[in-house]
Amino acid sequence: MISIKNLTFYYSGNDKSALRDINLEIQDGEFVLLTGPSGGGKSSLCRCLNGLIPHFYGGKITGKVEVNGLNVMKHSTKELATMVGMVFQDPENQLVTVDVDRELAFGLENLAFAKEVIAKRVEEALDTVGIASLRHRATSELSGGEKQRVAIASVLALYPDILVLDEPTSELDPKGAEDVLNVVERLNDELGITVILVEHRLDRVVAHSDRVIVLENGMITADGGPRSILSDGRVSQSGVGIPPIIKLAQAVKSRGMSLRVKRSNLIDDTPLTVKEGRIALAKTLRHSKPCASRHSEFFSPVIASETKQSHLKPLIEVKNLWHVYPDDFVAVKGINLKVCPGEFVAIMGRNASGKTTLVKHFNGLLKPTRGDVTVGGINAKEATVAELCRKVGYVFQNPNDHLFCDTVEEELAFTLNNLGVKGGEAEPLINQTLERFGLTQYRYQYPRFLSGGEKQRVALASILVAQPQIIILDEPTRGMEYRLKAELMKFLDEYRRECRAVILVTQDVEMVAEFSDRVVLLSEGKIVVDGPKREVLSQALLFSPQINRLAQALKSYGVPGDILTADEMIEALA
Amino acid sequence: MVSYKYSDKGTVIHRLNPWCKLAWIACVCILALLFDSPVYLLLLSLSTLPVILAARVWKEWLSVMKFAFFLCLLIIVINALVSNQGSNVLYQFPFAIPIAGAPRITLEGILWGVGNSLRLLAIISAFTVLMFAIHPDDLMLAMVKAKLPYKSVMVTSLSTKFVPALIDDAQRIADGKKSRGLELDRGGRIQRVKSYASIAIPLLSNSLDRAVQVAEAMESRAFGSGQKRTFYKELKISKGDITILAFVFSSIAFGVFLRCSGQGGFQYYPVVEAVSLTASEWTMLFVLLLLVNTMPILALLKRKASLD
Repeated sequence: MISIKNLTFYYSGNDKSALRDINLEIQDGEFVLLTGPSGGGKSSLCRCLNGLIPHFYGGKITGKVEVNGLNVMKHSTKELATMVGMVFQDPENQLVTVDVDRELAFGLENLAFAKEVIAKRVEEALDTVGIASLRHRATSELSGGEKQRVAIASVLALYPDILVLDEPTSELDPKGAEDVLNVVERLNDELGITVILVEHRLDRVVAHSDRVIVLENGMITADGGPRSILSDGRVSQSGVGIPPIIKLAQAVKSRGMSLRVKRSNLIDDTPLTVKEGRIALAKTLRHSKPCASRHSEFFSPVIASETKQSHLKPLIEVKNLWHVYPDDFVAVKGINLKVCPGEFVAIMGRNASGKTTLVKHFNGLLKPTRGDVTVGGINAKEATVAELCRKVGYVFQNPNDHLFCDTVEEELAFTLNNLGVKGGEAEPLINQTLERFGLTQYRYQYPRFLSGGEKQRVALASILVAQPQIIILDEPTRGMEYRLKAELMKFLDEYRRECRAVILVTQDVEMVAEFSDRVVLLSEGKIVVDGPKREVLSQALLFSPQINRLAQALKSYGVPGDILTADEMIEALA
Repeated sequence: MVSYKYSDKGTVIHRLNPWCKLAWIACVCILALLFDSPVYLLLLSLSTLPVILAARVWKEWLSVMKFAFFLCLLIIVINALVSNQGSNVLYQFPFAIPIAGAPRITLEGILWGVGNSLRLLAIISAFTVLMFAIHPDDLMLAMVKAKLPYKSVMVTSLSTKFVPALIDDAQRIADGKKSRGLELDRGGRIQRVKSYASIAIPLLSNSLDRAVQVAEAMESRAFGSGQKRTFYKELKISKGDITILAFVFSSIAFGVFLRCSGQGGFQYYPVVEAVSLTASEWTMLFVLLLLVNTMPILALLKRKASLD
């Protein structure tokens, strides 16, 4: 059991409290979802549970944290290791040995368990997490999802009662995230391990949780069962990403229709899973009169991509592109693609399907092994990256890789300077861009000390100050909270309307469903599908958004099968 | 592209007890330092090849050797320019430097460089086995067994583990910079240093973040709990391993004996010696090289025996 009383914490050298007046009790075996905007104190709270705060991270702390009756202030992280297992965000930075089985043994070795005990527990942990087949593999060869499961197994070997996972899926692809979450759920179900999970994307895990806690500005602003918390209007305003199904349910309810999730529940309730949503909506639809906009097969007429493209000169033209890496890995196999001004293209696909390799050709970071890439009339094979960057902006996933100047202003000036725009000419461009991104107040600040969302904006501004016609973003929303994602997407949508093109490499289906208009699906270096998002996403299994799965199941009630978002569904039902 | 990372190729060499491999590396190094004769050093360098081939690390070996050859070339050129001993003058510079005298290039100077390059090649070649055919965790265990402090060994092992991550980081950051119009290899020397410095700052900053994260994760798994650490896997030395160790040590002993009995010496200065070995010297040398190569042979036999 965890009991926190009046906990307040300041990191050393910081006058803003990271945690303020936290009072919390978590019972054994609970599955707690911890969410809220970034910088809200989620990680700090996790660190308090195994004594990383205050033993590893110094600072000013008042109040009391007790784990299984032990006062965390008086017992070190090492002593707490057998009670609280911590799994961190980045799978790379928590594995310390070369082999999987030794990784699992690491904690036990530190605690001086006998060899026989270690052998037994390593075996158990491998089986519990279902990674026995990986035991002799090198950790460096594993995929992100596998690494994260190894990390879970390695803390599990210490027999903790409590498992704390700090955004364990934010660096993973959907498949890897699914594998990790399955394991976590099973540990809670079958072994009764208390789970405290920090997550931004709630749609997948919310149905399994007993309790949702929202942290904002270091304070608990909401705490309760998932159905009541997520249908609370204040929570959605705080920037927590409310799953589309719940949004839909809210809208349906506000129209005076009642939703029944289960037969026994006679009162209105909020569905948490696609299945619950399906049952509830089917019942509602059965009892209500059919209306005009229903009974059509398509939500909106599909515009053939060819007719839309024909009258505009493409910005990017890829002809039979092949790329072979020096280690003979063929990443891209004969791709043909055209991107026109005003398009918002999402490039999707599994990890290592060639997405990044493909887009790196658009600004010359990679050169074609065979085939041609033409960007804004320039042959990308012969042009340097510097020449192409006037036309193409490329934003990398991690803003930390972008930023190195002393002030935000210099960050922008750096790009312009490289392009030969200096002094007086650069000034208005910089002012304009800072204004546009709401960064004027941070103009003279050190960019790396800004918050995650602000850093992302600086990185974007430092690219867009050059006003490229094409902007490429490589997984920009991975691990980003909902509000920031939505802001970024809205901005990109505006940007492409100025007759420019936006190319988004992503695995985030919900975002694509809402904002892009064309989806290119890659697999093993080849284009599998290329078409309007409605066509591609409504005919997919794994790559379909939550609401579409619902729409597919409700076709017999006259709901168009190509609905992708909650807003569209509401429109169709109205 | 060769990744400078250990990967378990499952060969007899990879499977062999790390102590045997460490002893063998030590043996090659000692012999390389013991002998002066270029013939001995050349053959010693070549005699590391069977182990490299048996461990199937020739690709890695080749890329390391490319670098080593460059290093050797540097040694030869510098020694030829700096050393003005030797009597076969090939070129006399037309000027004199105070104190050092008139520089000249001599045959002896060049040959000395060549001879010592061979010595270096033998040592580097042996060390590729350490890098690519000894499991880093096993190496760590061996170091701890050798009474080196565990924490220091762990830190060393960790730092090598994160080198590939660092290289990836640098590549990504450089790509980011290039995408913002920075031309890394353009401009004067000062400009280029500045350009590369712009990579160093985020790289350093990312590495510090990484260090804190790794430390946090280790702390959470009770690293340095104060108790005496136990080890899940231990280095078991089998009878076969002892046999191999015995052969390796005997080759060192035999080498020392040969050297003491006057074999394998060589004189570069003032006049380079002619290379001439008597029939018995050749025989002895081949016996020595055979002894050095008992390790891969016995390892193979041991694997065969364990399979039967």
